Amino acid sequence: MRHLRAVNLKARRIHDFVTATQDHVVGLQGPPPPPKMRVPLGCTLIFTPGWEVDSAGGAAGLCQPLERDIYDCYVDCYWPAQVPDHLNNATDWANKCASATKDWRNLDLIFP
Amino acid sequence: MNKSAFLILTAFWAAHAGTIFLPGYPDKILAIDESTHKIIDRIPSEIGIPTSISQSYDRKKIYVTSNDHNGVEVIDIATRRVLDHFVLNEGNHQQRIYGVAPDPADKILYTVVRDVTKQADRYEIGKFKYAVIDIAQKKIVRTADIPPDEQEGNIPYPGMNPFHVSPDGKYLYQFRDKVTILDSSNFQVVDKIDLAKPDFPDLTAVGIGATFGTLFEQGAFISLFNAEDPIVHRRQFGIARFDLNSREFQFTEIGPAPAGMMGIQVAPDRKTGYSVISSGEHGNRRCEFWAFDLTKNQRTMTAEFPCRPRFSFGISSDGKHLYLYGAGFEIESWNAATLKHEETIDLHNDVTMGGIIVVP
Repeated sequence: MRHLRAVNLKARRIHDFVTATQDHVVGLQGPPPPPKMRVPLGCTLIFTPGWEVDSAGGAAGLCQPLERDIYDCYVDCYWPAQVPDHLNNATDWANKCASATKDWRNLDLIFP
Repeated sequence: MNKSAFLILTAFWAAHAGTIFLPGYPDKILAIDESTHKIIDRIPSEIGIPTSISQSYDRKKIYVTSNDHNGVEVIDIATRRVLDHFVLNEGNHQQRIYGVAPDPADKILYTVVRDVTKQADRYEIGKFKYAVIDIAQKKIVRTADIPPDEQEGNIPYPGMNPFHVSPDGKYLYQFRDKVTILDSSNFQVVDKIDLAKPDFPDLTAVGIGATFGTLFEQGAFISLFNAEDPIVHRRQFGIARFDLNSREFQFTEIGPAPAGMMGIQVAPDRKTGYSVISSGEHGNRRCEFWAFDLTKNQRTMTAEFPCRPRFSFGISSDGKHLYLYGAGFEIESWNAATLKHEETIDLHNDVTMGGIIVVP
């Protein structure tokens, strides 16, 4: 049916609405969200070059252990990394994580 | 030494050992015994992730703040119990805070806040403002606009100590690119001094503010600062001593300013101070401890050490150990007399960059 186009305005609006609910891009992957205005969930929506590198593009400037750096990215979005936004949308994300190297399995996915 | 004498000596030492307070993830203030290096208490943070801690003016309490719920918690140091806590968030409105400075009466807290309002389709982010929090009323009772040319210097970060308050309560000191002195009653700038807080590359905005310099009981503040001559702009570092009441200061140059330098940590005898300097960056960075004789304003000893990419710097309650901590789950202890590594304390708990408080 994709080759068919609606000719009247109401049908086009219905088509646009359905498309919006199916293909809408949100901060993190999840089930199809309801059609409404959304606020980005993460500290960044840039997916390159990876989850985190230092200002020189390497890893030497990151925390030791590396896993601990997830907090400084998450707590105040100090560094642009693909982590949830602690200040606005995911204040409880790390509530079960006292030590990032040991408790990282307790960090769950975030859905809108 | 017989067994009973040993036990008495051990008990005496244990009774006089200090306590380290460190804010830890996700919602605890860790109390660590300095003699055994064991966690002796985990004080709950009722206000969210503790992103800043500061000591009360009477040295008997700790103020903890969080930047998610924007809360304030008051902890009694002697009993290690929570005395009070409250949050500033209301509905869709936040007053975002990063650190507080108590007044001499320990009734109000000076801070810098930013209004954040969640609308249906966006967040409205306000400008930074000076603010006064009344602890008894559990709310912000006064705010003042920050002039445009002062906005950048007031950008807060976790662990930041926004002000140092003079003992008479009249002045607020900000140690940043310049020393800025404000009138506490109206936040108007009353003086600026051309002394700059040293930078520390890679740590510039992360959590070293709370441990910058040492404030003594009578309002004497001491730390390392950089000064620049107006002709060839040569940067020199030295030791500055402030009388926070009279606004007088004394600066003694010591030598060319290194690329990176932290503030000074002073031993209880007030005769010796320590700092950390760095050169290079990322994987090529080198760090050194520098020790200073504060009676002669001279550098007395240096020692290179393998530094972590991100850390904070503190001193033990007896001045015999230097602590490197933060951005991890370990405290590295170094002998202050020899600048040699002693021990790495595994806390099994990540700590925030919110600062450290060490009490005897």
